[in-house]
Amino acid sequence: MTIGLPRALLYYRYGVIWEAFFKIIGCKTITSPETNKQILNDGIRFSIDECCLPSKIYMGHVYYLIGKCDYILIPRIASCKKRNDVCVKLNAMYDIVKNTFGDISILDYNVDNHNGLNERRAFINMGRALGCSYAKALSAYKNAKKADKLLYEKKVENQNRLLENNDKLKILIVSHSYNCHDKFLGYPISDYIKKLNCVSVFADAADREKSVVMSRKISDSLYWIYNKESIGSIKVLEDKVNGIILLTAFPCGPDSLVNELIMRKVRDIPVINIILDELQGEAGIQTRIESFLDVIKDRARL
Amino acid sequence: MKTGYLGVDTGSISTKGVIIDDENNIIANEYLWTEGNPVNAVKSVLRAIEKQSGDIAVASVGTTGSARKLIGAMLEADVVKNEITAHAVGTLVVFPDVRTILEIGGQDSKIILIDNGIVVDYAMNTLCAAGTGSFLSSQAKRLGIDVEDFGNIALTSNNPTKIAARCTVFAESDLVHKAQIGHKREDIIAGLCLAVVNNYLNNVGKGKAIKPPIVFQGGVSKNSGVVRAFEQVIGEEILVDKNSHLMGAYGAAILAKNNKKGRVFGFDVAKMEFVTKGYECKKCPNNCEIICFYKNNILIDSWGNRCMNGSVAEIMSVKSQ
Repeated sequence: MTIGLPRALLYYRYGVIWEAFFKIIGCKTITSPETNKQILNDGIRFSIDECCLPSKIYMGHVYYLIGKCDYILIPRIASCKKRNDVCVKLNAMYDIVKNTFGDISILDYNVDNHNGLNERRAFINMGRALGCSYAKALSAYKNAKKADKLLYEKKVENQNRLLENNDKLKILIVSHSYNCHDKFLGYPISDYIKKLNCVSVFADAADREKSVVMSRKISDSLYWIYNKESIGSIKVLEDKVNGIILLTAFPCGPDSLVNELIMRKVRDIPVINIILDELQGEAGIQTRIESFLDVIKDRARL
Repeated sequence: MKTGYLGVDTGSISTKGVIIDDENNIIANEYLWTEGNPVNAVKSVLRAIEKQSGDIAVASVGTTGSARKLIGAMLEADVVKNEITAHAVGTLVVFPDVRTILEIGGQDSKIILIDNGIVVDYAMNTLCAAGTGSFLSSQAKRLGIDVEDFGNIALTSNNPTKIAARCTVFAESDLVHKAQIGHKREDIIAGLCLAVVNNYLNNVGKGKAIKPPIVFQGGVSKNSGVVRAFEQVIGEEILVDKNSHLMGAYGAAILAKNNKKGRVFGFDVAKMEFVTKGYECKKCPNNCEIICFYKNNILIDSWGNRCMNGSVAEIMSVKSQ
């Protein structure tokens, strides 16, 4: 059996767990390729106008996988832990896909910790639906989590090593992983920063637990878990970086509030807000980044 | 023979060129409309400033503005810099004490905050070009007047009409409506100037501390109606240099002076043939639109590629096969 994984949205967070889990229980996986113009155009074609750009891209990835696998994995993740919600878009994707493409086979699992549905239960149920025993599904889940933890710790460690280096200016990119690591959306920006001889570091490679704790210094009433992690990373890393880029995809609801919050509360370090949309030409973004780095270089000389 | 340094600022609406000498004096300058053809505009600028400058050797070239890359390739520029930096560098030479630079150009508007001669903060309009120069020129056309006369007509008004300028589309319908119910033309024009200023301060200038001395530049700074509106709203004196429209090019020239690589620039560039050809690269699903730039039929640069498949080297190797 082959499970299709759309390389978009939560793939950037849970992809490692998914791939490991399915491998252990004996399923093959196919992951859609990096986002390209074709995928973006397909995604726009199958979305309504008002959807956010990453969710449009998601639809393009789902469309790519149709006919190439037995099931497409689309989880519903509503909340992780108590009072840690996830953007409604992310738990609506299952129904959006189902209603858009009709009779395709979708594999799902539901996580809603706030209402007693934890991730472990969800994975065990999913494993059993695919025909493996409780024990096998449980051990597959545990091993998948272990693999993910290992990789994540390595990522944090690598970034910490980068942060020790003081030869180059370091720019913290605060963004959802599915924006900043998408080849089409955010990657050109970190690539451009590299071309200008600076180093980009990422909010999602800062220590998560520490970030969530530190996020209280900016706001103690925020309830989107992924945004908590990203704003907390600012507090964790602010002494080690020279500037912050808030990278948002148009029109992200949570980010529009959270970025405003950051702009008002983070005062000691230069911050720029860059909004990506499907029509954006490269020149505008390059002007903004180049001039932002010029300003930071000037300040570093003070 | 004197040594000079050339700065070219190619914006969406206008193209500016200046030559400065070793003491930062402007020896030659030209300002004309880009008219959607930056290469031709730059050629005309070069012809004009060559005539003005007389016996001079241009040692280095800097480009800025939204076509800086294209023009940088055309002139083999020593420096290619973004508009923010170029404007700050230029303005700081003329006004060393400046704290705030307000800039409204054809499509972009910016605010630059300076502390002790160093840019400490700036903001730029985001996705929308409401309230910039192109908006003013299209409204001038609608009202049947030259955009150059806009400011002087605005100054004759004592009672500016209130116009909503948050969005260009709304502003336009507001404007039509106000004209139809009998508001005087000069009041509407003064109202537009005020709307541009309020829009600027509420968007680009939001949350920024505007401290004097304040310098206003970019094409719109030539509009005395907008200058007066800024003074009324901010309550401070607004400085406008006589060369305020040239500041980007001036900054680029100064950057060129500081980065000279020891060569002589030939004005014969203006006689060469430059062609850009666009094509869609089909080597991967990204289908990048690649622009190839030819000088006298020889490919000198290309851009628009997202991966190495569309790089200059790759295109050349395909062409030579």
